Amino acid sequence: MNTDTAYWMALAHELPAWNFSDTNGWKNEDKMNLIIQFYHEKKMSIEDFFGLSEASWKNDFQINDKQIADIQKAKSSLANYAFLAENLQNSGIEVIPVISTEYSKILKENLKKSAPIVLYIKGNKQIMQENSVAIVGSRDASQIALDFTDNIARKAGKEWKVVVSGFAKGVDKQALDSSIACKGQSIIVLPQGILTFESGIKTYYKQIIDGNVLVLSTFHPKAGWGKELAMARNPIIYGLAKEIFVAEAKPSKNRQGKETKGGTWAGVIDGLNKIQKGIRKVGTIFVRQPETTEQNDNLLLILKGAVAVDFDGNPVVKQYKIQDENISIVVEPQEKYKSFSEQVKEILSKGRLTIKVIHKKINFAESEQILKKKLEKLDFIEVRKEKNKNYFMLKGNTESSLFD
Amino acid sequence: MATVVMNRQQAKILLQKTFRLQKFYDEQWQTIEKILNGERVLLIEKTGFGKSLCFQFPATVFSGTTVIFSPLIALMRDHVKKLQSLDIQAKCINSEQTVEENSQIIEEAKQGKIKILYIAPERQENSEWVEATRQMNLAMVVVDEAHCISVWGHDFRPAFKRIINLVKLLPKGLPVLATTATATKRVEKDIANQIGGEITVIRGNLMRDSFKLFVIKVNSEDEKMIWLGKNIEKLPGSGILYTGTRVDTEIYSKWFSHLNISSTAYNAGLDTDSRIDVENGLMQNRWKCVISTNALGMGIDKPDIRFIIHTQIPQSPVHYYQEIGRAGRDGNPSFIILFYNPNEDKKLPEAFIEGGRPSIKKYQKVIDCIKTGLFGEREIIKQTNLKQTQFRVIKADLIEQKIIREATYGAGKKYEFIPNSQPLNTKTFEELREAKTKDLEKMIEYVETTDSRMKFLCEYLGDNTNRTFTNCDNTGEKKVRVIVTDEWTAKLQNFRENYFPELVVESRGSNIVNGVAASYYGVSNVGDAIHRSKYENGGDFPDFLLRLTLKALRKKFGNEAFDLILYVPPTKSGDLVKNFAEKLSQVLKIPVSHNLKKARETAEQKIFESSYLKQENVSNAFTYSNPNEIAGKKILLFDDICDSCATIKETGKYLTSLGAAEIAPIVIAKTTGGDLV
Repeated sequence: MNTDTAYWMALAHELPAWNFSDTNGWKNEDKMNLIIQFYHEKKMSIEDFFGLSEASWKNDFQINDKQIADIQKAKSSLANYAFLAENLQNSGIEVIPVISTEYSKILKENLKKSAPIVLYIKGNKQIMQENSVAIVGSRDASQIALDFTDNIARKAGKEWKVVVSGFAKGVDKQALDSSIACKGQSIIVLPQGILTFESGIKTYYKQIIDGNVLVLSTFHPKAGWGKELAMARNPIIYGLAKEIFVAEAKPSKNRQGKETKGGTWAGVIDGLNKIQKGIRKVGTIFVRQPETTEQNDNLLLILKGAVAVDFDGNPVVKQYKIQDENISIVVEPQEKYKSFSEQVKEILSKGRLTIKVIHKKINFAESEQILKKKLEKLDFIEVRKEKNKNYFMLKGNTESSLFD
Repeated sequence: MATVVMNRQQAKILLQKTFRLQKFYDEQWQTIEKILNGERVLLIEKTGFGKSLCFQFPATVFSGTTVIFSPLIALMRDHVKKLQSLDIQAKCINSEQTVEENSQIIEEAKQGKIKILYIAPERQENSEWVEATRQMNLAMVVVDEAHCISVWGHDFRPAFKRIINLVKLLPKGLPVLATTATATKRVEKDIANQIGGEITVIRGNLMRDSFKLFVIKVNSEDEKMIWLGKNIEKLPGSGILYTGTRVDTEIYSKWFSHLNISSTAYNAGLDTDSRIDVENGLMQNRWKCVISTNALGMGIDKPDIRFIIHTQIPQSPVHYYQEIGRAGRDGNPSFIILFYNPNEDKKLPEAFIEGGRPSIKKYQKVIDCIKTGLFGEREIIKQTNLKQTQFRVIKADLIEQKIIREATYGAGKKYEFIPNSQPLNTKTFEELREAKTKDLEKMIEYVETTDSRMKFLCEYLGDNTNRTFTNCDNTGEKKVRVIVTDEWTAKLQNFRENYFPELVVESRGSNIVNGVAASYYGVSNVGDAIHRSKYENGGDFPDFLLRLTLKALRKKFGNEAFDLILYVPPTKSGDLVKNFAEKLSQVLKIPVSHNLKKARETAEQKIFESSYLKQENVSNAFTYSNPNEIAGKKILLFDDICDSCATIKETGKYLTSLGAAEIAPIVIAKTTGGDLV
């Protein structure tokens, strides 16, 4: 691991992010511009850049006072990141900064200044430089969509192409399984920090050491799964591939029970939009041509400009023109991620809750049972039984029940 | 990041106020100045120089927390106590404290309530600690006993590898101090290289003028025991006797207690409470001497250890310097005595060098196993039939060579193969072996030298000094010889015939009680006699073994009445055990039964290296043809040799299940670690 790893991690995660309520925050683009300045123009290492005086930051890099304060804060976290980096190193996880020759070329080319500052990877990193196809689609895809996925993945394997997928249920999982089954190579793009993917690394240990699977994450290594991260991961999947095959886009319900177009739809639209605006140079988005009886949005996507393909992935009809529409671009989640224990602390700070409510509030990905076990391991949590119900609360929170 | 501007005068005022010390030594201030300036320093100074102040002082000046990686729990405890008495917020995190205590301290560190935090390098594996390091305000990192990071040092510890990786990742300007009392030039270079960055090496002189160094040449183990028996009480104060093996700590302490000399045995096999108790006892001079393997003493801050005696030559002059360095920190005279038997004493360190590494085939077995899946230690040991100690050596080498890595999964560790890694490089093993052989030759040179012994040690450690030395048996002190008298020979004989090793086999759910062996296998002529009978057609076990076994029985069980004698049915070696049991039966007038049988074929226990496999080999292996005859009975259970006692324990369990009221095991010989049976 390079001695400057902690610096890149601090640059990636420690500067407050831009969002609508903090428009003084850093966009990915701002960080990229800074890197271009010190690394490419001034030929300066990141260590030296951080070592400069405030005056130099101000005069030579035109950084404003607020940003200088941000960088100072990031600088003070370097030793902490060193500990984390050592932890990653010991787990066999590599940290690849955007300036590295090992960084995925196609990703950088596709995403330009939105390319993530660092990639966290485990496995055969050479795979990132190979010809690749992404297969995306709904979590509750139909059988025909899964069969299509299987077919495309196997075909990719035969053509020595790497299959990129997002490790969600449905199409993602099928793409991975089929690729592994035919001894093809795959990249798993995580919707979470790489250190929280222990069980997956266990499951795919053999494929990882055999060089057939690469696990990749762009988020803070300790970030737990989140819907925002799952959305933010989509452009990475698209960016890593030369061709994108969409098995099925299906509407889904959000937390309020309202029907939305779903993650696949948003991802494809974002991709099409980038192509349309000329931001994206490489790659084509292929959508499986649906049967007339199918209830999904595939056809709609084809109408918006995606290329319709048959079961074998060959184009079937000519492209439709994309229609103008206000499309929201998926951006990186701007809020600072919270660890599991921080989330729990926060929601319990107002009082006790049942497992069910906690499960819902933190949008926990696995079962209530697993959540319960995890909670019981936290030393600041206390469980109290009342009226046949278990309540979880913060230790020392002596707030008495109304019914005591 | 931590840099503090302060001159020596200002620092001195603070030193007097905070540490109640008068002044800095020049080398201390030289180090502290660099540390305050955010630099990296390797400090090599002898024990008692005051290395700790070089990080403790800056730590109190910096605004964040200083983390000290130290392998020595005793030292952590000591330092923390001292610092707390000076009202400095110091704590340590270690395996001797409860999980709750450690969590509490981690919490305090996160809140910035701790200035100086001692932790063991192994703590880097702990997820709670790693989580804490994300929030702590770190001011400085210290690597204590830094020679442990070098394979060329005398005490390489794999856990330090991670500390080095960490240090490499630390930002520029964060001060790092590595300290050691013993580093040859080669080790010094290795440490400096590994820590990397711009590092300054500060090296002090290693001379200890208050030492009185002696070498006593002997012709036998008996002579060592006799000289010590005669003379140890004449030495001033209290001290430490280092032996080569754990068994020897037991034998010497039994010998001393036979002579009414107050002593206690200490080795790494003791549990934490007993260890702490011995360490405290040592501090309070509770005994004339503590008899120990080299597990004791590193980091014990006792100023007045008045003598350090080795019954066995250490592997190298560095080991020796390190071990004797614990004596006389107060600057008053201390006796440093080394026994050497030219006929015998090279064997142990040689065996250690030769046998230090398992065969290449075993390495390959481990690699192959790890390639097939993600396993923990226990699983790999089972699959490869290796001893735990062997596996650990192999594992450490494979990690060092970057062929495998040890990763933490949940609470446990698993071993991952590293794809595209280089094949096993045995050349480094050869180089290390050669280096160790040379070190041992140097140690023998120390014994044989007719020149100043102190000068020899200093020069070996890279301190080339021009002083004159008058503090050894070659330069002014008397030569010591051992005189063996009949009286003492008889005393020793008497001791030998009345000392019987215990078999510790009691376990819950079994009616087996701790038993006794007539002797250790390798200690006397017992092992030879057994070997002749078993493997060289030497006939029945000779009668002197019967006499010795009966004596051991009486000593352990007195006149306790037994109902029945049983013997462990052997895998090979015919009727030797049966015949011996019959003889026991005749003498003791207790009936013997031949009804304990093997239910299935078992392999000879000695072919199994892993204790898990030994246990599996004998598990459910016995049957009893007439169980009624043992229900409610007190049984004497005989076997010829026991090593792990797995067979005896298993038999005990089985007989308990058949209703035996008590099972008392007795064997002729107990083997210890290195015995070749």
